Amino acid sequence: MSLPQFEVQQPQTLGEALKILSEVKGAEPIAGGTNLMVDMRAGTHQPRVVVDVAALRDLHGIEVTDTEVIIGAATTIAEMLESPILAKHATVLVKACSSFANALIRNRATVGGNLVTAAPCSDTAPALLTLDAEVKLASVRGMRRVPLEKFLVNAFSTIRRSDELLVSVRFRIPSATATGAFRKMGLRKVSCMAKVDVAVLLDGDTTGRCTSARIALAAASPVAVRARAAEAALVGKALTPEAIAAAAALAAKAAAPRAGSEYKLRVVEALVRRLLAEAALALTRGGSNA
Amino acid sequence: MSDRVTPKPLPPHHLPSLKQIGKPLRRVDALGKAVGATVYAGDFSMPNMLHAKVFRSPIPSGRIVRLDVSKARALPGVACVLTGADLPNARLATDLPGQTGRAQRKGSDAPVLAIDIVRFHGEPMALVCAESLEIAEAALQLIDFKYEALPGVFCPEEALQPDAPKVSGDDNVVARWQVRKGDVEKGMAQADVIVENTFYVPFVEHAYIEPEAGVAWVDEQGVITIRVCTQVVEHFRTVAKALGIPQNRVRVQGTMVGGGFGGKEDVTVEIFLALLARATGRPVKLVYTREESFLATSKRHPFKITHRTGVRRTGRITAAEITMLADSGAYPYLTPYVLLYATGMAAGPYKIDNVKIDSVAAATNQPFTSAFRGFGGPQAAFAYESQMDEIAKALIIDPLELRRINYLKTGDTTVTGQAIRSAAWSEECATRALAALGDKTPDSPTRKVGRGFASYFQSYGRITWFHDTSRAWVGMELDGTVVVRCGVPDIGAGQSNSLCQIVAEVLGVPLERVTIYATDSAVTPLAGTSTATRQLYMSGNAVLQAAGVVRASLVKKAAEMLGVSLEDVDLDNDFAVAMSQQGPGVPASGDSRATAPQSRTSCCGNSEVRGSRGLPLAEVVAKAAASGLPLAHLAQFNAPFTDGLDPETGQGDIWPDFTFGAHAVEIAVDTETGEIEVLKSAACHDVGRAINPAAVRGQIAGGSHQGLGYALMEEYVVEKGMTKTPSLAEYLIPTSCDFPATDVIVLESGTGVGPFGAKGIGEPALTPAAPAVANAVADALGVRIFSLPFTPEKVIAAADAGKDVVKPDRHW
Repeated sequence: MSLPQFEVQQPQTLGEALKILSEVKGAEPIAGGTNLMVDMRAGTHQPRVVVDVAALRDLHGIEVTDTEVIIGAATTIAEMLESPILAKHATVLVKACSSFANALIRNRATVGGNLVTAAPCSDTAPALLTLDAEVKLASVRGMRRVPLEKFLVNAFSTIRRSDELLVSVRFRIPSATATGAFRKMGLRKVSCMAKVDVAVLLDGDTTGRCTSARIALAAASPVAVRARAAEAALVGKALTPEAIAAAAALAAKAAAPRAGSEYKLRVVEALVRRLLAEAALALTRGGSNA
Repeated sequence: MSDRVTPKPLPPHHLPSLKQIGKPLRRVDALGKAVGATVYAGDFSMPNMLHAKVFRSPIPSGRIVRLDVSKARALPGVACVLTGADLPNARLATDLPGQTGRAQRKGSDAPVLAIDIVRFHGEPMALVCAESLEIAEAALQLIDFKYEALPGVFCPEEALQPDAPKVSGDDNVVARWQVRKGDVEKGMAQADVIVENTFYVPFVEHAYIEPEAGVAWVDEQGVITIRVCTQVVEHFRTVAKALGIPQNRVRVQGTMVGGGFGGKEDVTVEIFLALLARATGRPVKLVYTREESFLATSKRHPFKITHRTGVRRTGRITAAEITMLADSGAYPYLTPYVLLYATGMAAGPYKIDNVKIDSVAAATNQPFTSAFRGFGGPQAAFAYESQMDEIAKALIIDPLELRRINYLKTGDTTVTGQAIRSAAWSEECATRALAALGDKTPDSPTRKVGRGFASYFQSYGRITWFHDTSRAWVGMELDGTVVVRCGVPDIGAGQSNSLCQIVAEVLGVPLERVTIYATDSAVTPLAGTSTATRQLYMSGNAVLQAAGVVRASLVKKAAEMLGVSLEDVDLDNDFAVAMSQQGPGVPASGDSRATAPQSRTSCCGNSEVRGSRGLPLAEVVAKAAASGLPLAHLAQFNAPFTDGLDPETGQGDIWPDFTFGAHAVEIAVDTETGEIEVLKSAACHDVGRAINPAAVRGQIAGGSHQGLGYALMEEYVVEKGMTKTPSLAEYLIPTSCDFPATDVIVLESGTGVGPFGAKGIGEPALTPAAPAVANAVADALGVRIFSLPFTPEKVIAAADAGKDVVKPDRHW
């Protein structure tokens, strides 16, 4: 199908954009459009007005402060993949970006779009969940910051109100020793939706004891989730193969695949175990960055 | 280990060295594609052109209660809307009786647009054309369709139940074949072991890069002209029949095709375009979207295949009993013939004296199924090669040894009683493919490495009871350049180039000096379909004949001019030369038998010396023309004409010849995630003679990856008749990142029935890949998966089942 008729608004400032979103009924933001355009062509989603936010300066750039990394919502996956800041502070996110779709899509798709779409198989969401990321939502009524975990409600559902724009994602810089790992399992190596995504971020002290563990899953439940029971089981413990295996078994319990896809529980358990072991091994070698 | 499988030495064979044949020359179609100059069907537009869309059934089975198009017709910008009610007599003939004069199969027609009943999700119901694509799409939305859902039948086994809803005829049986050879009861009684297994393969989508497209217009003579991507320009006859007009009032101009794989063998957009162009008198364009291409066109047949094989302890197979059940979908199309090919290939390249095969295809309210690269062969091969490894396992014998004991050899007869007349290098191919895998990759605790291979045999050329023919015209211009006219559709496999390379060889001109006009039903001699791996065989022989006649004129004139005998003249690199002063070359004959095997070694003196001793070809052409010698010739090549198979026994000689080969892979299975990684892939085929080795390697590389996709990811999912994989986001095909390049080993026995001893390789390249993977997975896990594709869920289940299985020791 061709695209249906619709109106495009191209605000020059964030303020203008928020004004349009608050005043024009049925207006929806568009950035990379890699999901929205497909849905519009298919006729499954037909906004009357789209608000092009891709060029808004306030939504761009990856910054680092003393304590935080802040990523503009319209930052493309390709830009994240090439960011020295993320390479230094958030390798788990860079790894997620490298498995994202294909090079063409990565050039257009944005981190904000990926989170707002809230597809079950989002690749950035599990990585950002392990970083304890927060999203910043803006509207003419003001700003609010929400933990990503709360922002994601269900498949294709978030707490974003229709007049709100996701402007940035931020997370505290992980400790210098924290080590991240990410694995996407799909039916082919590129250009595919995840069957299972697993992200982990692990930190430990010099004795090999786990001081912090974050584990997140995607495509194994309606929306990306943290495996909190598994995390809790690791903190304070030595990262032995037994402890890791026990945590992996708990992580599988956090997954809720669709009927007929129960095999994903097995995949989650195996991948969590492997990624934890990989991260634990890196920790014993002094740890890398997240 | 690489040294454990030794390539079997090739039998003595003679392969003459030629000047153009066997050289990886730059293909005549390469430059246009590389620079974007090739005008594909969807790229073409005309002034004053309308844009068409098709309204399709949103349900798999129902009665049309109302199909009101009045609002669509009234929409400004809409030029024409047609429904089945406007075309009560328009039928789409799906049978291809060829030139035999036989009647079409009863019940093989489909309505062009549904009348009263819809039988599958996506069935065409109405045509719209408008001033713009957007208006045409808007008009589709205004069509008011009310239906009464009817109970459907969604699996061929259900379809054959007496109380099943009827989709086709009074029993849903679209076709049946049977083979009775020897005495199966006796053969089973002689067996020490009987192995029985059932195998399943799914619907598969062609997924070519170019969706179906075309533009039609009525020319100044009133001829309906359709410029379309098709494998069959002879569908002008099908269009004429559907429109009820004479065949000489329809012209199909084929384009360069962006992939066919059998999906453009049936009519796609042609009749719709012709109807709309006739109704409006204006040019009309119709281009399917990817989603429409998925929904509207044929799929590869799902099959359920059961093998029951009797075998002696020694490994000798004594009997095979095989049943096949195929899903025809809602309309027959080529199902009866696909089923026939599957039946004829069902037992694989093995000599089995006692055989009983029963195959049946049933109609369902599913997507219709038809030709797809291999035409029943890949489904059959997945089953018979999986079965061979299961037999080897039961006998505790090496799979290669088991096959070696049973391989068909030249002179043996197939299950349908046809003698193998050409080289049957199964073992030569299998040992080379296996040896090419090199050293085995070691296992790790959660990653089990397995190896497998598969052999196959497959016909090339159409069933000979179709009385297949092809025509080609070859002419010399006065400046010594050459024109070829041949109705061959080039579907990207190098069809045009091969013909040009053959003509260049025969006429002694460089390939660049040959121009081909192809694939136009009105102005190029009809060459038949680019299907059934037949074009090199059929049209290759036709151009060989035509060029041979032209060559004879040139040689005659050159002999006079040089003052030497006819036998002494060769044509080489734009010169006519006397071989007695030059060295040997190609003899003057257009007959393939005479030309190929008796050719001598190449003339490879340097051109300046040749030039000084020879005559420029253009001078010879001018003199030949002046004396009235024929410098152009239209040749017709006829395949052998035979009768059909005996209906009771399935015995008969119905294929021109067979290609043999093998594929071997090494794979790693992640036993926890169910992922399979292809580590190594090697394919070895006897292509008879590689006309252009680069093109042959490309065919094999592409075919092997299409086959690996069949094994590992491709599945067109249909639930209760509704497509669940509507686009390339859900239906995954391999990308260039997914598999290693296949190591391609080309053998040339020179024994095929094509020009210069060529066999066909287009379809066979795909066939052995999936069963090779199946056998490698079974080797890795110790447990077999009986259905394609090997998805993570199936692999995890098999890994669990195989946890404690002790794997047999294997030499390779």
